[in-house]
Amino acid sequence: MKSGEVKKSKELIIDVRNINKIFPGPIPALVDFSARVHRGEVLVVIGPSGSGKSTFLRCLNGLEEIDSGTIIVDSIPLDDDEKHRLEIRREVGMVFQSFNLFPHMNVADNIGLAQRLVRKKNRKDALATTMDLLHKVGMVEKAQSFPAELSGGQQQRVAIARALAMNPRVMLFDEATSALDPEMIGEVLEVMMNLAREGMTMVVVTHEMGFAREVSDRIIFMEHGSIIEQGETDHFFLSPEKERTRRFLEQIL
Amino acid sequence: MNIIQKTRKYSSFIDIAKFALLVGGIAWLLLRGSERVGYNWQWYQVPQYFFTFEDGVFVPGPLLDGLWVTLEITGYSLVLASVIGLFTALLRLSGSRVGRFIARVYLEVIRNTPLLVQIFFLYFVLAPIFELERFTAAVVALSLFEGAYASEIFRAGIVSIKRGQWEAAHSLGLSSFDTYRTIILPQALKRILPPLTGQAVSLIKDSALVSTIAVYDLTMQGRTIIAETFLTFEIWFTVAAIYLIITLSLSLVVNVLEKRSGQEVEYA
Repeated sequence: MKSGEVKKSKELIIDVRNINKIFPGPIPALVDFSARVHRGEVLVVIGPSGSGKSTFLRCLNGLEEIDSGTIIVDSIPLDDDEKHRLEIRREVGMVFQSFNLFPHMNVADNIGLAQRLVRKKNRKDALATTMDLLHKVGMVEKAQSFPAELSGGQQQRVAIARALAMNPRVMLFDEATSALDPEMIGEVLEVMMNLAREGMTMVVVTHEMGFAREVSDRIIFMEHGSIIEQGETDHFFLSPEKERTRRFLEQIL
Repeated sequence: MNIIQKTRKYSSFIDIAKFALLVGGIAWLLLRGSERVGYNWQWYQVPQYFFTFEDGVFVPGPLLDGLWVTLEITGYSLVLASVIGLFTALLRLSGSRVGRFIARVYLEVIRNTPLLVQIFFLYFVLAPIFELERFTAAVVALSLFEGAYASEIFRAGIVSIKRGQWEAAHSLGLSSFDTYRTIILPQALKRILPPLTGQAVSLIKDSALVSTIAVYDLTMQGRTIIAETFLTFEIWFTVAAIYLIITLSLSLVVNVLEKRSGQEVEYA
């Protein structure tokens, strides 16, 4: 958060070097892509659809395989070792565009599941954490509800709580508000904003420029799988250097 | 009452009348036919093959014994076929090339050879080698056969779960085993319960084939009674009716399940 309430360290949480990713088809998803995120930093990735923003995010916790390059998260290399992949996923929380809550479990179980199975917490401790998180996202009274009984905004807030339950070092948000009705976007953005204020390290893919500007320390603008321009948020929005960036910002602002 | 309702009531009356006429016609033909071959109906003989009372004690007859064996074989096979089916489905969806190949070979062999031949093969070839009993051979043969079909049902159910569910589970750090156990299979099972129960109906019907290796199931008991008493018509009618009652009750369960899961799919 740029207001600087939380002191940023120089500790690298995400170190991505020269990764390439090719999907079947003519357009490569990521081309020689590098990025770094420090502890406590909020990085927002913007760009036209199909530019590779989501792919970049999904590579970070191994949901997509990279074809070349290196990814290091919290000093753990993401390589062929399945153990490393699991370790990284434990430290990286992810929030999806389509929420992906588990429909056969109630809200509390959605949030408690990984705490018990992965963090090996007992039922009581897990429940305590779950209720704390539900409080944080304003969903305490829905603890026993099933996902189908919730609005999109409520589901997404539960999904954020579910990811936070693993006590991750970094949170990834993949267009977390894109599938929401307009009146529900605010409640989700607010939760994300609070997280950033608390000093959570975040990588956010979003189309909400107002939010991006408010919450981020740094912006990456990408197209066709590579970075067109990146910089500190204020500088990026006030005086973008590349012509392509200016055109993109004009279109959406 | 408006016209549409009237018409509907009228046409359903016609329907039932037609049906009654058809059933009556078939019954009449059957009776005429049996008279023509000089068949001597002795329905009063049948109950004793269900059960008798000896000194006031209930003694199950061969038909009830046979029914029990049929249910036993079906029950064991159902459990075994489900295990085989699930395992084969997981093998087919696994990353292992060899695993997928083995599952594929098993499926093709089972689905492209007659069940009767499989039963004979197991009983006459494999049973002596592995010292299997008749009953065991029957259960294994049926399980392998139905398991192949069950595996396709399992696979379809697993594949039908949205990719986002896998991704959400993986991104929480859940292992593949935990993901299957807590996320994928509970959702998939709910969806495949109706077709799986349908497969169980097939299993009950197919189990009649084990009578060919002299397992004393319902069909075999029927054959034995007929050989001794020549009550051919009565006993086959009875045996068929018993199968019908079991499978229809199962189908009824399927219908209820389908209705319930249909409602759930809407908001899932």
